[in-house]
Amino acid sequence: MVLALDVLTTAAILFIVTAGLMVIFGVMKIVNFAHGALLTMGAYASFVVTQLKLDPWVGLPLALVVGVAVGMLVEQVIVRPLYKRPLDAILATWGLGIVIGQLIVMAFGREVQFVETPLKGAISVAGIEYSAYRLLLVPIAAGLCLLLTALLSGTRFGVKTRAVIMNEDLARGLGIHSGRIRFITFSLGAALGSLAGALMTPLSSVEPNMGLAYLINAFMLVMVAGYSMVSLLATCLVFGACQVLVSTFVSPVLGGLTIAVLAAFTLRIRPQGFSHG
Amino acid sequence: MAKVTASPGNVGIGQRAADNRMRHIRGLLLVGGPAIALLIAGPFLFGTYLLNVLIQAFFFSIVAVTVDVLWGYTGYLTFGQSAFFGIGAYAAGLVFTHGGFSPSYVLLGLGVAIAVAAAVAAVLGWLSFYRGASPFFATVMSLVLPIVLSQLLLSGGEWTGSSSGLTGYETFDLSLQAWYGIAGAGLLIIATLAWFFVRSDGGRTLVAIRDNESRCQYLGIDTSLVKIVLLIVAAIVAGVAGFGYGAFSGVVAPELTGFVLGTQLIIWVALGGRGTLWGPVVGALLINVVTSYLSGSLPFAWQLILGAAFVAVIVLLPQGLVPLLARPFRRLAGAGAQPILVERAVQARSAQGASEPALQMNDVAKHFGSLKVLQGIDLYADAGELVGLIGPNGAGKTTLMRCMSDGAERSAGRVVLCGNDIKQLPPDRGVRFGLGRKFQNANIFDSLTVAECLRIAGTLIEQPSLFRRSNSLALPPYALEIVRATGLDRKLGTVAKDLSHGEQQALELAMVLALEPRIVLLDEPTAGLTKTERTQIGSVLASLAHRYRLCCLLVEHDLDFVAEIATRIVVLHHGRIVMQGSFDEVVNSELVKTIYAGTPQSAAGHGSANHGEPS
Amino acid sequence: MSAIALNLQDVTSGYKASIVLRKLSMTVSGGEAVALLGKNGMGKSTLLKTIMGYLPKKSGTIQVNGLDITHAPSHQIARAGIAYAPQEHALFQDLSIRDNLRLGLPKVSVFDERFAEIEPIFPVFKSRLKQFAGTLSGGEQKMLLVARALMMRPSVILLDEITEGLQPSVIDRLAQALLWERNRRGTTLLLVEQHVPFALKVADRYAILKQGEIVDHGDAKDEGAAESIFGHLCV
Repeated sequence: MVLALDVLTTAAILFIVTAGLMVIFGVMKIVNFAHGALLTMGAYASFVVTQLKLDPWVGLPLALVVGVAVGMLVEQVIVRPLYKRPLDAILATWGLGIVIGQLIVMAFGREVQFVETPLKGAISVAGIEYSAYRLLLVPIAAGLCLLLTALLSGTRFGVKTRAVIMNEDLARGLGIHSGRIRFITFSLGAALGSLAGALMTPLSSVEPNMGLAYLINAFMLVMVAGYSMVSLLATCLVFGACQVLVSTFVSPVLGGLTIAVLAAFTLRIRPQGFSHG
Repeated sequence: MAKVTASPGNVGIGQRAADNRMRHIRGLLLVGGPAIALLIAGPFLFGTYLLNVLIQAFFFSIVAVTVDVLWGYTGYLTFGQSAFFGIGAYAAGLVFTHGGFSPSYVLLGLGVAIAVAAAVAAVLGWLSFYRGASPFFATVMSLVLPIVLSQLLLSGGEWTGSSSGLTGYETFDLSLQAWYGIAGAGLLIIATLAWFFVRSDGGRTLVAIRDNESRCQYLGIDTSLVKIVLLIVAAIVAGVAGFGYGAFSGVVAPELTGFVLGTQLIIWVALGGRGTLWGPVVGALLINVVTSYLSGSLPFAWQLILGAAFVAVIVLLPQGLVPLLARPFRRLAGAGAQPILVERAVQARSAQGASEPALQMNDVAKHFGSLKVLQGIDLYADAGELVGLIGPNGAGKTTLMRCMSDGAERSAGRVVLCGNDIKQLPPDRGVRFGLGRKFQNANIFDSLTVAECLRIAGTLIEQPSLFRRSNSLALPPYALEIVRATGLDRKLGTVAKDLSHGEQQALELAMVLALEPRIVLLDEPTAGLTKTERTQIGSVLASLAHRYRLCCLLVEHDLDFVAEIATRIVVLHHGRIVMQGSFDEVVNSELVKTIYAGTPQSAAGHGSANHGEPS
Repeated sequence: MSAIALNLQDVTSGYKASIVLRKLSMTVSGGEAVALLGKNGMGKSTLLKTIMGYLPKKSGTIQVNGLDITHAPSHQIARAGIAYAPQEHALFQDLSIRDNLRLGLPKVSVFDERFAEIEPIFPVFKSRLKQFAGTLSGGEQKMLLVARALMMRPSVILLDEITEGLQPSVIDRLAQALLWERNRRGTTLLLVEQHVPFALKVADRYAILKQGEIVDHGDAKDEGAAESIFGHLCV
């Protein structure tokens, strides 16, 4: 039973962390390698809230705001010029991640920080005590998935966004303001990344490099999952389960590698991942 | 009949070769001169600390060279070269720690470094460079490798020293100056060899693969194999450099194999100037030296500056900093001379049963799920025939062409090219059986010159040197005709993307013919051409079939064009062949009229258009 | 009622360093149809792309219905009433027919009404709205292009070699559709063409482009028009 809960919560964590990357990659086909740094930024926003002795839940909207702001800046300055050079976009955002990381170190120092958790204690589930906060992440992940799916497929914004990504010149020629669409999408993705960081703080140590581990896994998951939120959720479940199983029964170190290795082989065998062709 | 085209300046081959050599020597001296001077003078000029730093930097620079060849030239963004470097370093560390130090152990260590690096590279290559792999995926794989490797080393316990690595093992007892000489010489040798390779005729294939991999496949080049071999060689070089590093420094740690070093290599290459070879070397050296001096005094600020510079370069100056600074020196080196065109006799065809058709398709079909694009295709074509494939849009003509050339494309049936069953084989095998395919859009190598495109096109016939640049370019007579007739012979030095649409189409056709194919597939060869260009192409194709006995198949809409040159017409409709015959038979048949004609008015309209055009 | 719909004055433009259009001037009156003819590489497609803002103008001005669009971004130019059907990559292959048609509209709510208008001309789409545009045949794709342009109710339609690769029956349909549109709404047309009979059928005037300049023009319904045009194309 603990195993099942572990799997569910791990999948939820993976989804929350990856959603922002997915929005940007799936919709813009640019891999935002600064995602890890944005995560870290959001975590430090939570830390600031703790320092200011405010209600820990305030950390979430703060992280969102910071994420949107940084996302808007990054889109204009870095991503926009690299739209036609996707491999270079990986590099530039990675460089950006380094820059953000260094700025965080200069502002907050290298030490691990403590952040107040919004929901303490444990809940009893089927006779087992399980961290309440971890369990909360499951409905949060589900809600996020629903919201994003509705946004991308149901709204006019979603169709316009997909059009812009398929053929920007054509979309512009039909009257769609592509610059605005990309701007909004990237800011949304960055905000989600930052939010994820804030949500992760009760679970992991807050230090300048915390985003890196999440980045690699998120990246691999996005490559496998294709372009829909629902397939991402499914991928997180499957791969999350594998990671938990390997960590529990084999070794935690290999468990950390599971997602990366599994994703690599999945892509080799089925290049389009889990998406529908 | 060897015809030699003279350039406008009427310079003979001998003179050209001499000119080329002078340019080469000048270029080499410009770059190599200061390098050799630095190498010799170094130990006398630099203090111990700087020498130490430089030696390490030399080893890193060797790996940077491999990264540039893989990324700058071939377009394969790799974060994984650090893994091979680390393998070499740990080979030294492990062998010397757990074995001992003696000449045989040194050889063992070196052997292990090379063998393991090559094996891992082979596996990585097989995983990354399969048919249809996306560049993203290859990059992802190159990312996974160092992560997996460093994790494995971290959990290796006593054997690998875990996070502290291996230290204090016995190693070569050489002075700092000697190591400086060895490492420096190593860098110089590798860089020079790489330089000759990427500038050679064969080396240009790397750029061709980067620009247009599919075109390379359709010229018979097994691009996956080329990339895998390249990766293995790069891995071995990085591994040997790593071995040297491990032997020199006496300390090996997991950081040497990791993701961070991998990305640092990319940063050095990007800042130095990807695709220039010497840019990454200079960049790697400079950054390493500066970092060692600044990381004490400005630890965070320096990393910040480096990161920001990296981002700025990627966004604003993708060609890197060093080429920008060296632009004035380019003038001195001068532009390269163009090769001279020479005719090459068409290879005598191996005995192929005269009774056997060049192209045979039996019961070929293609479906996308429930959508049947082609059904029951039975088609034969002989050498010397010019078959026009016509049919309304959506009839499946381009799909048919794909099924002829790519073994994996069709869903059913059998395709035999010049007596060889293509089964499920990829296009490059079909090309080796004698197929040449010209695409509808001009499918060429944008960054290469006309001469380079043509030379690579002939790879199957005349393998370009991996070291030299030839002074002459041999083409079969029919390719030569096209090149001359369209004026491309005066534009051999023009980069392909600067040509006009018609010239690009002609170039692609010449490239396909340079293959000396026995079957030529042409997808709407007249699309976007003017009337004069159309007539030219028409007579070229006619002579290909009648004079040189090639088998040509063309998909066309321009019925007048087809009428003049085709020996047979095949009509495709809704994925089936509905009729075959001579042009007159087909055009006058009731069936075809029904398929093609719209209202009676438009059929008359077509007739009056015929009438209006001067013949 | 013939205000000037499209006005180009001394427009010079090209790709990066090369110049394709040289100080080109032309005016198209409201409701007129002009065919642009000429050999390949002479600047016809470049002219349309320049009007649509895909290529920067090195000099000159362009006005649409009196509105200066010389420096406007492409999406604003489209919103100013110009519908453009490019020669290549003109549809979203992975979107449905319905989505392709919708995207040009200012509001989704007008889709049904406008689709009903053009449906008689292009009956083939009605039952296939959910199909992906990429699965249509070449001729059907071109028809989709024109349908989309018509649904935008533009004041000017720019067509780049709409007949390329099409069989005569489809070319005929397109000609009829365009004539219908002109009759119905007085839409201005500027078509770039290689298919001379089609061009002469649809257009009122023709202009011949050579090396980025207009070297000849005339009345499309003239007796000697076709011959004079072919004279230019063959030299």
